[in-house]
Amino acid sequence: MFLYILKRILYFVPTFFVIALFTFLLGAIAPGDPVELKLSSGMQGSEGQGQVSDKLAGEAAYRELNTKLGRDLPQFYFTITSASYPDTLYKVLRKNERENLERLIDQYNNWPQIDAYYKSVKALELAAITTQTDPADSTAFSRIKAVRESCNDLYRNYDDAVIQLDLKKINAAVSSTVQIADSAGVLHSYQSLAPLATLNTAAANAYSYMREHPANSLKYKPAIHFYGLHNQFHRWLFGDVPWFGENNDPTRSAKGFFRGDFGYSYIDSRPVSSIIKDAIKWTLLLNLIAFIIIYSISIPTGVSLAVHKGTTYDRVTTAWLFVLYSIPTAWVGTMLIVFFTSDYYGSWMALFPPYGLGKIGPDYTMWAKITDRAHHFILPVFCIVYGSFAFISRQVRGGMLSVLRQDYIRTAFAKGLEPNKVYWKHAFRNSLIPIITMFSSFLPAMISGAVIIEYLFTIPGMGRISYESVGERNFPVQFTILMFSALLTMAGTLLSDILYVVTDPRISFTKKEG
Amino acid sequence: MNLMSTQQNKNKADQSYWGTVKRQFNKNRSAVWSLRVVYVIFFIGIFADFFANEKPLYCKLDGKTYFPIFREYAVDLGLASMPPELVNVDWLNAGYESVLRAPIPYSPLTKDWDNAYANPTKKQDTRSWRFRHFLGSDQLGRDLLSGLIHGTRIAMLVGIVSMGIASFIGILLGAIAGYFGDERLQFSRATIIWNALFLFFAWFYAFNTRMYIMSDALTESFGGFCMQFLISVFLFGAIMAIPNLIAIPFKRIPFFGKRVTIPIDIIISRTVEVLNSVPILLLILSICAVVKKPSIMLIMVIIGLTGWTGIAGFIRAELLKVRSLEYIEAAQSLGYSQWRIMLRHAIPNSLTSVLITIAFGVASAILTETALSFLGIGVQSDVVTWGKLLNEAHADVSGWWFAVFPGLAIFVTVTVFNLLGEGLTDAMDPRLKQ
Repeated sequence: MFLYILKRILYFVPTFFVIALFTFLLGAIAPGDPVELKLSSGMQGSEGQGQVSDKLAGEAAYRELNTKLGRDLPQFYFTITSASYPDTLYKVLRKNERENLERLIDQYNNWPQIDAYYKSVKALELAAITTQTDPADSTAFSRIKAVRESCNDLYRNYDDAVIQLDLKKINAAVSSTVQIADSAGVLHSYQSLAPLATLNTAAANAYSYMREHPANSLKYKPAIHFYGLHNQFHRWLFGDVPWFGENNDPTRSAKGFFRGDFGYSYIDSRPVSSIIKDAIKWTLLLNLIAFIIIYSISIPTGVSLAVHKGTTYDRVTTAWLFVLYSIPTAWVGTMLIVFFTSDYYGSWMALFPPYGLGKIGPDYTMWAKITDRAHHFILPVFCIVYGSFAFISRQVRGGMLSVLRQDYIRTAFAKGLEPNKVYWKHAFRNSLIPIITMFSSFLPAMISGAVIIEYLFTIPGMGRISYESVGERNFPVQFTILMFSALLTMAGTLLSDILYVVTDPRISFTKKEG
Repeated sequence: MNLMSTQQNKNKADQSYWGTVKRQFNKNRSAVWSLRVVYVIFFIGIFADFFANEKPLYCKLDGKTYFPIFREYAVDLGLASMPPELVNVDWLNAGYESVLRAPIPYSPLTKDWDNAYANPTKKQDTRSWRFRHFLGSDQLGRDLLSGLIHGTRIAMLVGIVSMGIASFIGILLGAIAGYFGDERLQFSRATIIWNALFLFFAWFYAFNTRMYIMSDALTESFGGFCMQFLISVFLFGAIMAIPNLIAIPFKRIPFFGKRVTIPIDIIISRTVEVLNSVPILLLILSICAVVKKPSIMLIMVIIGLTGWTGIAGFIRAELLKVRSLEYIEAAQSLGYSQWRIMLRHAIPNSLTSVLITIAFGVASAILTETALSFLGIGVQSDVVTWGKLLNEAHADVSGWWFAVFPGLAIFVTVTVFNLLGEGLTDAMDPRLKQ
């Protein structure tokens, strides 16, 4: 038994790893730059026309947050790319620039030349920021702004036509001449942005050199780079803080999934673990109530249907249970909200609050608290209960029927036992097995069902925050819920397997010898 | 005499497995009726454009005769173009000389401003009863019945596409797991070594180097992506053919010729376990969050790609039984290859039972899609689905018709497919009938 459980838990390791890998992959291909997103939600646009100090401060802030989120690390233990990609590409700071460089590599495959081009644009941008403009030159400011905007554009584009256009724009901005009167009043025509012009020529040259010397053969040569344990995936699961002993490295802050650190929400920077903790409470509470109700009414129903097999009562009820099982939750919830939460269709019909959990005032007595919560919970719990009730009642009926036909039941009746004792003590115990199997499918259904029900009744549970984080593209929350629900499901499966053995001593999962 | 022999033939035919199943099925009244309702639903789905359309079936405009709905089909197929004078016609209110309209003269997105939020039980401001919104309309005056009719098509499509994909994967993998088990799938060492070597290169050339081509196609359209993906798969298959050819001479060498058993049943069962432990709705939510432009098509494909585990389990259990039957042994002793026996002799014999899982699968696929479009995930604004219509009631409680009718449509469809599954179960396995 113990060995069996141990084996099952060991089986979970690869399963969990596959799910984690898939979730991580989803996160890796997710669009948008979380660092950018967080910075822009914190402070308003340091991008563009600020001063040197602003630009450098922005860069430093980006670098700091990037390190804090662990995004300065390589993504995985290894990469398989074509040989044209350098193994240090992850060191390029900004995500959009990195992605653009990848595109360029895909087009031209000559990393040294691409790198030279990229650096020349960087130099041009830096020079544009640091250039001291002549106060007499009134157009200089707007022209430098044009240069910087075009540079930003170059970072984001890999299409030849767009790049050529940007280079032309920069060229027009830096090479135009201005006429300035000197102290004697004589007009001098000179190129006020001459240093930028040189840099721009260098960038244009680097670009055309890169374009004319592609290394396309490299594209078809695979290359594997190994990065070791210090990567994003490992950090996400295991963290980079040492498991035992002191953490001496201030740049390392993540504890990893296994130690309850699920990252930070993109929206409000709260730790995901605290968000989940708040949410899971409601989902579990709702489902626990529903669970108790479901089993306490569907077991007697199922047993009594089996006992009265073939009667009109059995046939009609079974048919109704089937219909009940097929009613979609979204429909029932909508109908309840439309008809029973407002007085639109009659003044007495506003029986229940339409959404939320209710506000519990500080002066509420215990009883008032309970009734208020219950008032809010009735509709959502009903939505969870009705479908599962129908399903489980039918299963109980089926299980009981197959047991009731057996000889030992006939024997029990023959020796004069009370019918109730035969049904509950002799038959029911043996018909428990199918109910237990359902337990394992109950958990995933519970989480999926929670999405609809919590959306309908605005309950801040797991389903609701999952739905919301899809709209907000709040990936840490979304993926943590996905992982959590997978873990819960696996736990449910294990639990039902163990209960199997407990309820039926004939079932054994360890191979018997002989 | 003649009559009697046909009668005999008929009786003979009825002794077949299918005959028995059919007879059992026909005894089940609710199942037979469900099948009829399924036919009706399919019929509505296929001919939705002719039931509810703002364009007339036939009309005469400025002395010229048109068949706008048929013309629309021709345009969609690329056979014809819309005549320029028809491009900007207000189909609903145009001054026709003579006209034959569809039974419901509204497309799902046609806006009838005069009858915004029309209540089906109250008086409506329409020209005649022909233009009445029988099931009401929304704030923009879009007809609910028309939306339901066109939503039928989406629901059917979800059922067919997702279960098509799921059946293909499920039958194949389930059959491999069941037929070969953990001990029958054997390859020579040469094949395994060469395949392992080439797997890397095949993946690299088919998918890694074509990564941007595929992701660019995905931002364009899902169909384009599927096309590019198929090209990649083809390339992958072509490259993987090479090691199997190379391996042939190597098999002669005793060391490389030694056969190794692959525990394929364990591998497939693990995969099933992984898939089963992820709640499908949350999985689709996560994928939709990541994909830039989620579409109904994408959702159908995901439901299909994740929904095959039930079918695989069924087929696996069937083939575990079938593989020890005499006729399989006979085929083996005739020297047929294992794959041929599995594909041509074992699978066809157990396919009927898959119908049960498919029927239930269609119901749950439709439910999943409805739930998603109810949440407003993965539906484009120009596509009308039942879930989306149902959600309009959630936004405004005064429109009870949006709560009642779309939900009823979903409910009927799901029930009918569930009843069908139930009926098939009873017909195919009388032992289960209690």
